[in-house]
Amino acid sequence: MMKRILAMMLAAMLVLSLAACGGNSGGNSGDSSGGTTGDTTQEPATGGDSDSSGGGEKVQLNVIISQYGNNTQDWWPTFEKDFEETYDNIDLTVEIVSWNDLYTVVNTRISTAQAPDILNIDTFADYVADDLLVPAEDYASADLKNKIIPSFWNANELDGTVWALPILASCRAMFCNMDLLAEAGITAAPTTWEEVDAACKAVKDKFGGSIVPWGLDISTDEGQAAFAYYTWNNGGGFVDADGNWALNSAANVEAMNYIKTLIDNGYCNANPYTDTRYPLQDAFNAGSQAMMIGACNMMSADSEVNYEVANLPSPIGSSVSMGVCDRLMVFDSSITASKNSDEAARLDAVSKFFDFFYDTNRYSEYMVFEGFLPVTSDSSELLKTGADQFTVGGSDAPGDNDYFATFTEILPNCEFYPSSRAEWIDVKQGVIEAEQRICQGEDAQTVLDELQGKIEELQARNEAG
Amino acid sequence: MKQNTGAPVKDVSSGAVPAKNAPSSGGKQTLRKVEPYLWLLPSIVLMAVMIVIPILTVFRLSAMEISRAGIVKGFNNFANYKEVLASPIFRHTLWNTLVWTVVVVGVSTLIGFVLAMVLNQNFRGRKLVRALVIFPWATSLIIQAVIWKYIISADYGSLNVILSKLGLIDHFINWTSTAGAFFAWECWVGIFVTVPFVTFCVLSGLQSIDDTFYEAAEMDGAGFWRKLFSVTLPLVRPSLTVSTVLNIIYVFNSFPIVWTISKGDPADKTHTLVTYLYKLSFTSGKSGLAAAVSVIGFVILAICASIYMIMSLKGEEEGS
Repeated sequence: MMKRILAMMLAAMLVLSLAACGGNSGGNSGDSSGGTTGDTTQEPATGGDSDSSGGGEKVQLNVIISQYGNNTQDWWPTFEKDFEETYDNIDLTVEIVSWNDLYTVVNTRISTAQAPDILNIDTFADYVADDLLVPAEDYASADLKNKIIPSFWNANELDGTVWALPILASCRAMFCNMDLLAEAGITAAPTTWEEVDAACKAVKDKFGGSIVPWGLDISTDEGQAAFAYYTWNNGGGFVDADGNWALNSAANVEAMNYIKTLIDNGYCNANPYTDTRYPLQDAFNAGSQAMMIGACNMMSADSEVNYEVANLPSPIGSSVSMGVCDRLMVFDSSITASKNSDEAARLDAVSKFFDFFYDTNRYSEYMVFEGFLPVTSDSSELLKTGADQFTVGGSDAPGDNDYFATFTEILPNCEFYPSSRAEWIDVKQGVIEAEQRICQGEDAQTVLDELQGKIEELQARNEAG
Repeated sequence: MKQNTGAPVKDVSSGAVPAKNAPSSGGKQTLRKVEPYLWLLPSIVLMAVMIVIPILTVFRLSAMEISRAGIVKGFNNFANYKEVLASPIFRHTLWNTLVWTVVVVGVSTLIGFVLAMVLNQNFRGRKLVRALVIFPWATSLIIQAVIWKYIISADYGSLNVILSKLGLIDHFINWTSTAGAFFAWECWVGIFVTVPFVTFCVLSGLQSIDDTFYEAAEMDGAGFWRKLFSVTLPLVRPSLTVSTVLNIIYVFNSFPIVWTISKGDPADKTHTLVTYLYKLSFTSGKSGLAAAVSVIGFVILAICASIYMIMSLKGEEEGS
């Protein structure tokens, strides 16, 4: 009898413990401390009292920052601490999330009404389409608006409203290993596609298979960048002069065929379909690849390669560089995890967060730390001559004034993806698939016509609501 | 101990007064009936939470329009299924999945069977060879896939380096220049990691065969092939069936090999259903389509499992 009673008690305890587990996770969902998934890379640096246990009406502010490098998580805890010391009525929680997990984490949070107050990501059109964002005019102070370089401010406009703030930018350039090129008999970085072909042939003839002449990434990771590099520099691109999608233009067809010849001639890494930019950058830094187009901050501090940064080669003589800009956006309080009762107080806290972040010195320090380019005029000016007063993330090395002077000049003239358009994600994935199909032997005109048709159909559907 | 020895005495004495104790024995009976279910309850709750609810949710989502931000917009008249079934990529993926499952399960079963026959023989170092065979199975699939990706890389892969050092090639060969080549390599890796499981399943079956069967067959003048088809295969069939059915399920649902080596590229030509739905959901943000593909995969596996169940039940009936 005792055994049975004991067994019953054990069973009851098991059931209760299960129920308790469920109850706990349900409790978390209503809690403001976030962390509903295990995907984030860092816990907030501040202590355990995440709720307003102090009695005062603390404003909760949850921020998701994307991980730009191995050291991103080292910079934000200090920011968080300094911010909370300055504004003791705001409880700030910063989470660093890897780009690999970012979209999944954010979508999960949105679908469970646990979105962050502020999100750092690349696109925003999908969130606008679902009515999830707060317009930037509602929280950006006049001072901040004046500081942001106008082209970056306007790049976040959709249907006449600015929905996000630029957080940082980078631009792409061609990197050449001058020692390898010199050994192959090439003395200057190529400026046209013909010169690229000649340089690749020279490197291939000189080194055989041991050196890759040209790094190419048309993988799902960033194949759309390759599309931009070659089509923009051939007078084509994603849209025409009127802003209409023009993916199947003659210039684009020619550019796609050119990428195919690079592969067919054996000038590229063997698997451009699966090689992302990261192994290509590593190969260039290690000196086993002669040339590639890459981000301005792709060189590692310990690389011994004698390299030169040059404009992207253009067959029509007008080089266009590509800029990449990520954003910070604010979610509507109806879907955020921080259930602040006072929306005005929340937006005020958001505004304070941005003013604090974009403070000239603090923002400049972050740009040097991550190696990206600033989107504010004051920091751009400061870093041209004063980058060396800040240190590069993960090292004791000072910032490079020349680097910032060079690239902050190039940046305003860069072309950017049309990422504020509702069809952008489909265009991005469509051009990658098109590149891969063309390079596998399908007819470029047919493939791009098909893509253009699909996107126009999608646009018509979007416009019809 | 005292209480234990005392308990029967109490029961016997209570049994002497049935009228008084009738309710308590009824309660005991109810308790006895309910008890197994109570013990099962945690497992049932766990299965419901971890398996049944997610499956039902996927079925529901597959019929919904879901925005890229993850917002469920409502029923969309099965548009996800229509779009998926009309897609040439899906049809190619379905074909790939069939090829992938048949080739990996078929070839690994064949190799595993032969290997098990060899390992069932007595030879020096048999234990070492058995340990070596299980090695690929004991290693994580992702690690294996990454290693193979490096082995076959044309730019820095060890396969090219070894072949060129042996003087068999004079320049590096691109082993994955086409989608077909990529997929063939993925099938090979699938076979490589599946062989140990089959080998050990069959080996356990072989070891349970009594030697007297073979001795009797030999006395009747049976040769190697006759013994193989008339003794070994019929007796090892239960083990082979288990390994084949489990492998069909594992291989059909296998994600790491294809995703690590090619991510379904070039041009979505090397996807299997699982990598395709992952890409739809987590790269393209099309959760509704991904749910529809998931349901289709689920139905295919459910049909396979049902056929197996029917066949094995029939076999049992015939056996009895």
